[in-house]
Amino acid sequence: MNGFLVLETGESFEGNFLGSKTSAEFTADTPVGEVVFNTSHSGYEEMATDPSYFNQILVTTAPMQGNYGIDDSFWESKQIWIKGFVCLEIQKSKRDSTWLRRLNDNNIPVLEELDTRSLVFQLREAGTTWGAMILAKNAEEAKGKAFKLIQEKKKVQKDWPFLVTTKEVYDLKGSEKNGLKIAVLDFGAKQNIMRELMLRVEHLRVFPSRTSVEEIKKWNPHGIMLSNGPGDPEEVLEATENIKDLIGWKPIFGICMGHQILARALGGHTYKLKFGHRGSNHPIKDLILNKIYMTSQNHGYAVDPKSLPSSVDITHFNLNDGTVAGIRDSKNKCFSVQFHPESRPGPHDAAILFDEFIKQVR
Amino acid sequence: MPLFKDLKKVVIFGSGPIVIGQACEFDYSGTQACKALMKEGLEVILINSNPATIMTDPEIATRVYIEPLKKMFVKKILEKERPDAVIPTLGGQTALNLALELYECGILEGLGIELLGAKPDVIQKAEDREKFCRVLDSVGAKYPNSKMVRTFEQGLEAADQLGFPLILRPNYTLGGGGGGVAYSLEEYKIKIASGLHESPTNEVLVEESILGWKEFELEVMRDSAGTFVVVCSIENFDPCGVHTGDSITVAPQQTLTDEQYQLMRDEAQKIINAVGVETGGANIQFAVNPENGERVVIEMNPRVSRSSALASKATGFPIAKIAALLAVGYTLEEIENDITKSTPACFEPALDYVVTKVPRFAFEKFSGVKDILTTQMKSVGEAMGIGRTFKESLQKALISLENSDIPFPIIEWKEENLTYPNSLRIRYIYQALRDGVSVSELYKKTKVTPWFLEQMNDLVTFEKEFTKSDFKKFPLLRAKKLGFSDATLATWFSKDEQEVREERWRQNVRPRYFQVDTCAAEFASETPYFYSTYWAKPKQFENQKSLVVLLGSGPNRIGQGIEFDYSCVRSVSQFQKEGYKVAMINSNPETVSTDYDTSDLLFFEPLNAESVLEVLKYVNPEGFVAQLGGQTPINLVPQLINNGYNLLGSSKESIDLAEDRGQFIKICKELNFKIPNSDMAFDVHHAKEIARKVDFPIICRPSYVLGGRRMEIIENEDELISYFDRHASFIDKQNPCLMDQFLDRALEVDVDLVRGKDWTIIGGVIEHIEKAGVHSGDSMGVLPPQRLKPETLKTIEDLSVQLADRMNIYGFLNLQLAVRDDEVFMLEANPRSSRSVPFIAKATGVPLVDLGVQGMLKRSKNQLIKYPLDWKQMPFVCVKGVVFPFKKFQEADSILGPEMKSTGESMGRGKSYSEALFKAYVSSQCSIPNEGEVFLSLRDKDKDELIEVAQELIEMGYSLSATQGTSTILKEKGLPCLTVRKVTEGRPHCVDRIRSGKVALVINTTSGKVSIDASFSIRRSCIEYSVPCLTEADAARSFVLAMKHHRSRDFDTYSL
Repeated sequence: MNGFLVLETGESFEGNFLGSKTSAEFTADTPVGEVVFNTSHSGYEEMATDPSYFNQILVTTAPMQGNYGIDDSFWESKQIWIKGFVCLEIQKSKRDSTWLRRLNDNNIPVLEELDTRSLVFQLREAGTTWGAMILAKNAEEAKGKAFKLIQEKKKVQKDWPFLVTTKEVYDLKGSEKNGLKIAVLDFGAKQNIMRELMLRVEHLRVFPSRTSVEEIKKWNPHGIMLSNGPGDPEEVLEATENIKDLIGWKPIFGICMGHQILARALGGHTYKLKFGHRGSNHPIKDLILNKIYMTSQNHGYAVDPKSLPSSVDITHFNLNDGTVAGIRDSKNKCFSVQFHPESRPGPHDAAILFDEFIKQVR
Repeated sequence: MPLFKDLKKVVIFGSGPIVIGQACEFDYSGTQACKALMKEGLEVILINSNPATIMTDPEIATRVYIEPLKKMFVKKILEKERPDAVIPTLGGQTALNLALELYECGILEGLGIELLGAKPDVIQKAEDREKFCRVLDSVGAKYPNSKMVRTFEQGLEAADQLGFPLILRPNYTLGGGGGGVAYSLEEYKIKIASGLHESPTNEVLVEESILGWKEFELEVMRDSAGTFVVVCSIENFDPCGVHTGDSITVAPQQTLTDEQYQLMRDEAQKIINAVGVETGGANIQFAVNPENGERVVIEMNPRVSRSSALASKATGFPIAKIAALLAVGYTLEEIENDITKSTPACFEPALDYVVTKVPRFAFEKFSGVKDILTTQMKSVGEAMGIGRTFKESLQKALISLENSDIPFPIIEWKEENLTYPNSLRIRYIYQALRDGVSVSELYKKTKVTPWFLEQMNDLVTFEKEFTKSDFKKFPLLRAKKLGFSDATLATWFSKDEQEVREERWRQNVRPRYFQVDTCAAEFASETPYFYSTYWAKPKQFENQKSLVVLLGSGPNRIGQGIEFDYSCVRSVSQFQKEGYKVAMINSNPETVSTDYDTSDLLFFEPLNAESVLEVLKYVNPEGFVAQLGGQTPINLVPQLINNGYNLLGSSKESIDLAEDRGQFIKICKELNFKIPNSDMAFDVHHAKEIARKVDFPIICRPSYVLGGRRMEIIENEDELISYFDRHASFIDKQNPCLMDQFLDRALEVDVDLVRGKDWTIIGGVIEHIEKAGVHSGDSMGVLPPQRLKPETLKTIEDLSVQLADRMNIYGFLNLQLAVRDDEVFMLEANPRSSRSVPFIAKATGVPLVDLGVQGMLKRSKNQLIKYPLDWKQMPFVCVKGVVFPFKKFQEADSILGPEMKSTGESMGRGKSYSEALFKAYVSSQCSIPNEGEVFLSLRDKDKDELIEVAQELIEMGYSLSATQGTSTILKEKGLPCLTVRKVTEGRPHCVDRIRSGKVALVINTTSGKVSIDASFSIRRSCIEYSVPCLTEADAARSFVLAMKHHRSRDFDTYSL
């Protein structure tokens, strides 16, 4: 079926629409979201289940998707979060199970045979924008339908981590019998953050994003993990306030959204990047370990270096564009990184940072 | 860390003559490295014996030595130059082994020279299988069970323990040399013996088979700060069991999950650290069991390799250049990404396209050789296709091989075509799918990962849906997105290719040119490196003034290789000096011409009419250049001209005068040139008639073949009948057999000249060392000529100029002439740059390519560049040596004839003819024996002539042996000679004697099919036991001259 990705800025890209719904059902629930591209060669299932992709349409620059099938163990959360999946070609051969079928079974439509490279040019030059995946005969018709839908959906609640966080507190058992307790503040946490921590500590307790300081303190963890998550950190007000009260109490380690929230809680500001960083090949200069390594990244905002108080050191830089990729408040034993040491997808080079965190906690 | 402060002068080793397993990729890497280091202000000394390379051009390095890459020569150069360091990682296995040898005998230490890029213990840890296995153990990496074998008996024991099939990997050899797969004890016994012999350390790793596992390769880099990046992951279409150089490969890898890939990446990082590679590039090969994902390490190369060249072209990441900069002190962070100009080199390229590499083979050149692929590399070249999908890139790559514009023609197949890997297997697989064999069935037979088979099946499904449908309603765009060529579609609808093309143009189904930008469009990129795809709407080209399109030479093959890339690359700067911009088209990832900074625009595209026309239509150039890339562009000329494009230089009419045999003969007669008698025969009866006029010996060849295919020298009527018998299917009324008088005992010469508006400059006259009958590409040659009389040379030059004038040449003309009894015969003309151009340019110093460009542009005399332009003033004698791939092809005969079989050439430069000869032989991998027995088996007509040679050998202290006939004559002349049995006379015979190691040199001249067949085993045993074997009288004479020089030990090394 003819489908279009219509951008808020007016451009449209034609593709082949693959969805499980009838066109009437589809119109009622058109996928609308921020259109973002990821340059990783592999890891489509990990990406789609990463809560940081909440309210986003994912474009993969790697042209061929679905090649190696699916595997439940790749899921980074309990659901697929992307609104839609856009690629050049998705595997359609007859197999027992396919990525396409899994997406469609989860009501995620796919636009393939779409000129993703030109789409990326557009996003790179004009910046990230919202878009809608529309079933239509031609671009004009698609555009006619798209703009209103995009405006409607954009009005939704802005604290995205609150929309994706766990509703209940839950415990996880680690494999290390060292008695260590780590509290994870879930802003949309990837499973692999838990897995990495479980390899290093005995007890993990995962808290909803707006959990009160008292409740966390009551459990008396040795350290606090601020997870990744979707959206604009400026909108995550309540959690930021809470974290201000936790700084200095116990060591804190933040990843991605967790990093941005920590920076804000320390008095810094964040700003929106033109088109974000999403991929598995981002070089980071780590001044703590004195190393350069490749990292997995997925973020649309960054910490403004000029806004940070003097007590906070910039410890990591993104070598592609020089943006802040990590900070540390040594006195208060807090540090955080903009990238994903838990990988999935992406290189494992930075997993060593979890060990750094444990060192702080001990 | 920036550039090492104390570093002023570095030496770079090239890789020597082109051989299977070590081709022009090392010209690419060496050239890139030299350029980068020169830019850093270092003095760069380059040593390479291969004159066909760009890197040996005087401009590339501070000083260039075209000298043998052997200890005794290199030592002299090092003593003379006293460099601070040697970088041994850019010239393949040859350079690495040489560096290790220089280190081990203390030369480097003695001269205070450091090895940069790879320390000796690192080389050993990666190259020595036992040491490498210990490294793997230390990082917990798995590898196939194996045993290191040093004797035949140990070999038998190992086989007993490991079970068949077994893989043999001799230590320290290149391209899997001497290795292979053994399925039975019988096969194994032969292979273990030759493997032990092949390994310089007489060690063979015998390994349990992982046949059928998925094979991957990671191209990695590391700097002194420990930063590690994977430049490219490569997945093989062919599962384990086929040498990766012979496999179809795809980048990036397509079928590993992210987790599997990342674990492989982790392991690669651990291995490179544990081996101790401090800086530079390396590649690591892995195998993955498709049943359970188990991963093992196959091997590692601690240097820039063939796959680094591929990875560089596939990603835009210049591995060799960066390896060179890392070796002299920089870190990845300090080096800019050349392509984006805004991001650093410490990153991993992201691709938004798929790259497929396919090997090109030459089995047809070696009659009797079985087309079966094993762990020993046999391909002679490769082509790469870039597309947005695997399907698009695969079809582009196959078209780029230039065998056919139809990648998957209808062919018949047998079960064994699928189960035994072979050069055409992908076509058989496609046909099997066409014939309804299922993907799962094919997987069982081939072990090719089902994803690849599914992709091919997609093509078959489309083909079945639409062949014989209505062309008017045919979804052309969809077909083009799948990569189907116009030629393929033409067969579906029984149309002419041009008709399909015009319909396509009417519908505006045209490709888009996308950039190779290292980053999947994440960052803006200026580098003009493009590939075509139908997965986006076409876009207008921003018109560039004075643009010329230069057609390259495509994949290397026997007869068309690096020499043509030299001409292409060298021409670019001259075009630029003349005010032009150059757009290069080529499909060969090994070359310098496909480096993104060689030309102004680079189109990585197949060199067929369809792709070239699209590029021309896109950039709308002032003209196109077809004289530099060998026969490939010449063949495209008619179609390009018919589409209205302007050919630069000699016109199509001039080209036809040379290419069309009839027209050529006509103008030769018109100019009163002597030419051999000739005629064309339609069948054997006709041929017998002609033979009476032309007179034996006669050279026969089917009319349309190139490169001397099926060309034979026929001595008598029986052989003529046999020839027509054997080649009947290639000869008929439309394709008659050309029959030329063979100028027996004539001396042959090659002439290369360039001509412009009012001038002609002879580049040089190369005198062949062998007499007529050996293909000019296979014969050794000397410049200046040694046997021609000055007045004959003058005649040759005069005739050449006359012919060029008559043909109205603008640019290059290559001529072959023969001289017999002071009479000069015109044999052949090629209206283009030739294989001998780089040799002549380097030997004489005449900038032949620059002048050729000026000629093509019809410049007049007063516009010419001022250089020394008289080739006769050359200060040295230069001899062209030749290298053959016989070792790689069991059953191949090493006898030289009119069909070209060599893969590469070397140059020996000397103050005297004998010094040059000596060096040329040494560079051509000939061991020159100092003592021992010389076995002679001579045809009657050579016996008298070679008596003199035998006499000299005796005087030099060698002993002689010969079969009865030759022995008798030698004894009659008073020369002591041991008589040995012919093979037919029972054992022990002469071949046993060669195999036993008693023979140091063989001179075996023979002619006529029967005698050639009878003496085959003599030559074959020489190949297997690395005994030099001369098959032509003058070659034998020259070899003895070289031996003499060797004994005098009087030689020096000279920079260009």
